[in-house]
Amino acid sequence: MSGSLIFAIAGLSAVGIYMITGRSLSRIVLGFALLGHASVLALLASGGPAGDPPLADRTTATEVANPVPQALALTAIVISFGLTLFLLALARRQQELTGDDLVEDDVEDRRIASQETP
Amino acid sequence: MVLRLAAIPPLVSTVVALGVLLGSSGDAPSLDVSWVPGLDLEFVFQIDSLAALMTLLVSGIGVLVFVYANGYFGPTAAGTGRFATTLLAFSTAMLGLVWADSVWTLFVFWEATSITSFLLVGHKSVDAAARLAARRALLITAGGGLALLAGLLILADRAGTTRLDDMGPVGGTAGGVAAALVLVAAATKSAQFPFHVWLPGAMAAPTPVSAYLHSATMVKAGVLLVALLGPALGETDVWKPVGIGFGLLSAFWGAIGALRHTDAKLILAWGTVSQLGLMIVLLSAGSGKAVFAAVSLILAHAVFKAALFMVVGEIDVRAGTRDISALSGLGSRMPLAAMVAVVSGASMAGVPPLLGFTAKEAAIEAALKMDGLEALVVGFAVIGGSVLTVAYTVRLLLGLFGPSDQPATDIADRRPAMAFPSALLAVGSVLGYVFLGTVNSLVRPAAVQVQPEAEVYYLLRWPGITTAFLISVAIVVAGSTVGWLVFRRPLGVPSPVGAGVVDRGTDGVLSVARFVTGRVQHGSLPVYMAVMAMTVIVAALPFAFDVEPSAIYLWDSPMQGVLAVVVVGAAVLTSGMASSRLGAALGLGSVGVAVSGLFVVHGAPDLALTQLLVETVIVVGFVLGLGHLTRRFPSAKAGWRLLRLVVSVCVGGAVALALASSASNPSGVPPLEDLTVAAVDEGGGNNLVNVILTDVRALDTLGEVVVLAVAALGILALTESGRSRKEEVA
Repeated sequence: MSGSLIFAIAGLSAVGIYMITGRSLSRIVLGFALLGHASVLALLASGGPAGDPPLADRTTATEVANPVPQALALTAIVISFGLTLFLLALARRQQELTGDDLVEDDVEDRRIASQETP
Repeated sequence: MVLRLAAIPPLVSTVVALGVLLGSSGDAPSLDVSWVPGLDLEFVFQIDSLAALMTLLVSGIGVLVFVYANGYFGPTAAGTGRFATTLLAFSTAMLGLVWADSVWTLFVFWEATSITSFLLVGHKSVDAAARLAARRALLITAGGGLALLAGLLILADRAGTTRLDDMGPVGGTAGGVAAALVLVAAATKSAQFPFHVWLPGAMAAPTPVSAYLHSATMVKAGVLLVALLGPALGETDVWKPVGIGFGLLSAFWGAIGALRHTDAKLILAWGTVSQLGLMIVLLSAGSGKAVFAAVSLILAHAVFKAALFMVVGEIDVRAGTRDISALSGLGSRMPLAAMVAVVSGASMAGVPPLLGFTAKEAAIEAALKMDGLEALVVGFAVIGGSVLTVAYTVRLLLGLFGPSDQPATDIADRRPAMAFPSALLAVGSVLGYVFLGTVNSLVRPAAVQVQPEAEVYYLLRWPGITTAFLISVAIVVAGSTVGWLVFRRPLGVPSPVGAGVVDRGTDGVLSVARFVTGRVQHGSLPVYMAVMAMTVIVAALPFAFDVEPSAIYLWDSPMQGVLAVVVVGAAVLTSGMASSRLGAALGLGSVGVAVSGLFVVHGAPDLALTQLLVETVIVVGFVLGLGHLTRRFPSAKAGWRLLRLVVSVCVGGAVALALASSASNPSGVPPLEDLTVAAVDEGGGNNLVNVILTDVRALDTLGEVVVLAVAALGILALTESGRSRKEEVA
């Protein structure tokens, strides 16, 4: 496997995780988008080395890149696109309702956590 | 009204039970209902002799209890509908337990009685003490239920059948473990020492509940269990000593408790612990005569104890208290109640001519028939327990109705609905003695079912001057003396140590649970995400031992290396450097473009094209959708940021490890040529990716379109609803 791809995927994952552990919803959306890139690339990398585009009439069959992960990745790209836009809309709605797009703590959980033992 | 209507179902099953008992049809009625066929789970019911006898008790006393409850609550009380429903549910569960002929059926209804009795004990739900008592009862009996489940699993596995009917004797270590578990379960349900602590607390329940659950039904479930599984587990080394041990301790400790308390209901509750102990001793001993005596005792005890509970409840309602040290002059003011109590108490003490006498005679004779240590232990339990029983009965009757220096207690008018059922049960204790032949024909088949040797025994109306009779006389004399002495010089009410220990234990568990929940269920989304990320890191650790360095090469082409650096650099810029949202959006766009570049280098032009389009739309959406937000991201605490940084870097490392490990273990070579041929010949296309998407993954692609449509609808709804609100405000 190409070390460069591993580097790109690991880097995207690290930055993505860093962003989704934040409090701002729009940052979390960005993080999700980065994690989406990382998973698509991982899918591609696991299918084998780079090669020619898998076009039967223009390239020889033995030298093309594996087409199956590409077909799977295409779906992944589209789904993560839908997810990202939906999360953006959610962040926007949150901003409209509360004036900010910060993820608040669960009040009930905090109440349990802060409760003194009887 | 509700309570009167509720008396109808138990009345019907009483009639059915009588029909089964007195009818001479050969086969016992039975019913199989398949529940989960694949797992051999089924509901199997069979009304054999023992079940019919128990049905008679459960339903017959059930009818009387409903009538009694009608008087107890009065016409104006709230919550009688709930009470009637729960009591009927309990009654149903109890019947299911009694009729069960499969271990699973037995277990299901066993648990059902625990739950319904929890609801009944906690009926006065505004009373904190009642809630506490109900919780204690549930925890102990449900804990016993778990022991029962484990015991039954072992038993069913060893015996090779789940039918109680077909179960042969089980021995060995497994049998011993099963026997111990089953006995613990029986001890929790039948309130045996040291699990008895729930029963006195359960007196917080309305008296009809105590008269029903704590005399005839629920507490007998444990005794019934010992009777039902005695044939299967009686031959293990554990059964006899453990069973007799539980019973012996309870027979004495219960009776001592009954001698010390002054609350009449508590005296009865502790007395029940003692009587149940006696039954368990006899059943665990397992000889024909002992089993016969135990079954007789089950019947006699249900009749007199229910009557006594009812009288105490009546005194409680009419006099306003049930403390024997506060009551005075009730003997002349409540003559009917006094007569019922004296007759039932005498039956409990084993005085002729009453049903309790014959049962106690049988128990003494059973002990006399044994040999060696067993005779000594069982005899000690029976005789010692009986002396103390007489003692607390005398003390109770003297305390309730006897002479007192205090002025007579004021009492309210008689409630016929309360007086009638208890009177009927007292008459039952007498009639049981008069028609002893009928009682014999009820008891003997039930005892034979447990222990075939019981066939030859019968209850004696008048045994003559035998050893057993002389012992009986001595018991009554000694017991009365002790009772009189304790009545004159009270022992002092003990504090409920056992219940306190259970409650403190429960509170401790709850506060630990609260502590753990408070730490684990923190309520903060970022913390949850960080915990999940750390889990990923730990999960990736095993991959470290599975990496083959030669499988990794620097790049497919130098361009790939450049693009990888650009991708990571743009991502880092997006997160860290770009502090404005617009900048972040543009950063994300540049990451997307660089990733498309990686696709091109890899040989995936379709992906690159799609990625570019998608990225453009996302950046536009980001700018349009969030452009009017505050520009700056909020800052976070430095410590938290450092932790996030460490976790993220570790996740990156974990992902790299997993990828390297996957590259080191290829599962095969892609069948590129076959794919190409198939795409051209069968798919009719030259672009392999397109052929796979349209021909092989057509349904997936359709699903993908649906996802996009749903996301679009959601986005529309989210943005439109905000807009309409603004317009309304304007």
